[in-house]
This record gives sequence, C-alpha cells and structure tokens, in this order.
Amino acid sequence: MTAGQGKGQGNSMNDKNNAGAPDAKDAAQAADLLVTVAETLNARLAVTAQELARSQAMLREASDELMTAFRGAADRIVAAQREDSADEAERAAEYGTVLDHLYRACQHLQSHDLVNQLIDAQKLRVDKMREKLGEAINLASPGGAQPVNAEQWIERSRAMLDCIVAGIRQIDDDPRGVRTDKKSAGSVDLF
Amino acid sequence: MKTILAVDDSATMREMVAFVLESAGYRVIEAEDGAQGLDRAAATACDLVITDQNMPNMDGLTLVRNLRQMGDYKSVPILLLTTESSDAMKQQGRAAGATGWLVKPFDPATLLEVVQKVLR
Repeated sequence: MTAGQGKGQGNSMNDKNNAGAPDAKDAAQAADLLVTVAETLNARLAVTAQELARSQAMLREASDELMTAFRGAADRIVAAQREDSADEAERAAEYGTVLDHLYRACQHLQSHDLVNQLIDAQKLRVDKMREKLGEAINLASPGGAQPVNAEQWIERSRAMLDCIVAGIRQIDDDPRGVRTDKKSAGSVDLF
Repeated sequence: MKTILAVDDSATMREMVAFVLESAGYRVIEAEDGAQGLDRAAATACDLVITDQNMPNMDGLTLVRNLRQMGDYKSVPILLLTTESSDAMKQQGRAAGATGWLVKPFDPATLLEVVQKVLR
C-alpha cells in the first residue's frame, strides 16, 4: 500500500461519508507536502551524486600524479643501485632527488586519503537517507490493520513525512565531514 | 633530537606527517584522536604538537585548549593541520592558543619550513 493509494482511499471515504471540508483540506495539504518533500529529497540526492562524481574525478587526478611520482622514485633507486659510485656528493644528490619524488608522492597520497574520507562521508549520508526512506516505506505498508478513514490516512502520511524530513535533516547534519578547498590547500597561517 | 606529536584520526595522514618529519631528523610519536594525544603529551615531553581538527572523542581545538592548561605545554608550539580553511575556524584556533594553521593536503617542504620556524 502506498501513500498515494492511501490518500486516494482517504478522499474516497470523505466523498462517501461527506465528512466535511477540514478533512479534505488536510488530506490535500498532506499530499502537497509529500510532493515538496520528495522534490527536496531528489535535489539533495542530486547534490550528493554530483559530489561523488567530483570525488571520483579528484581521485583519478591524484592517482595519475601518484603513479608518476612513484615511478620517478623507483627509476632513480634502480639507477642508483646499478651505479657503483663512491662519490658521497653524488650519493647525497641522488638521495635528495629520490626524496623529492617521495615528497610529491606524499602530497598526492594525502589527496587520496581526503577523497576517501569524502566518499565515506557521502556514503554515510546516502545510507542514513536510505534508512529513513525504508522506515517511511514500512509505515506505508504495516502488517496490521489498514486505515479506515481519512484521518487515519492523513496520520499515516504525516508519519511518513516526519520520517523523510528526519532523513533530509541528517543529510545536512554532518559535523565531521571533510571539507576540501583546492584554493586553500597547502596554505599556512602563523599566528 | 626534537620530538613531535602528530595527532590525526587518519592513519595515512599520520604516516605522511611522520615520513616527512622523520626524513628531516625529527622523532615522531603518533595519536589517533585528541584524547589519546592528550595522554601521549602528558607521558612524553614534546617539542611540537601537530593536530588535525575534526576527530572523534576530542577535536583539535579542544586538544589545544587542554594542552594550554598543562604547565609543560603553555609555550610549546601547536599547529593545526586540517581541511578546515575558513577564517572563522582559524580565529577559533588562534583564540584557543594554536601557533599556526595549515590546510591539507600539505606540501612537505612547506611543512618542514614551518616546523623549523616554530621550533627556533
């Protein structure tokens, strides 16, 4: 049984019993609210989808850079092993070059880590929303008796709405979310 | 050898910080959140603390405030290393007693420059 079916039956009960304007008005408002909530939810999930796509793009970029840096370090180490150089200055220069490559890799590994955290946060948001949607769907199809009048149908619709709204609030409630700002990355402020 | 406490709930980030600092000759001890950082700081005299902001159990700003109340850490430099970059958050860091604010991902050479500067 869906909320739409419920609303329909509720209205039909109103028609049949001619219960008066207030019930019909409430039912209409509930239906409107349901549509508004569904649209809001859709917009939020669209943003989430965009953030996930952005995260994947960042991850690909970081991966490419990381591989370049690692290959640079690996090539240098192999070359250093082949050369039988006793020159300390040359060895120190080689070490510096390898370290430079590893520092670059280190920077991009951080990006990997941050993007992973970003994706985790998005997955958590989607999971929470799905959990609330599941609760709302369960409210629409309980195992017990079905509503018998418009008031009961409206009550059920409102319970579903409360559930969906709680899910939407959870999406916005992200106190420990990772914030990535490419412009500010690497910046330093000493107080 | 100077001892630096690195606090971050991300193992990868702690590893990156430790790699960079150890490659420059520093000793690094690690903690995975503010509460553990506070314990480590109490157990070992650290010359510098580098902490993330958003962590479970205790966040970076709370750690800074707690450290500043410990006699041994009144003047020890404390750097926030975080993805947070808003002016409002930086102001909170300053008010809490932090020495500086670095935004992730950090550039290893820049991190070393800042560390050398605050340890002088």
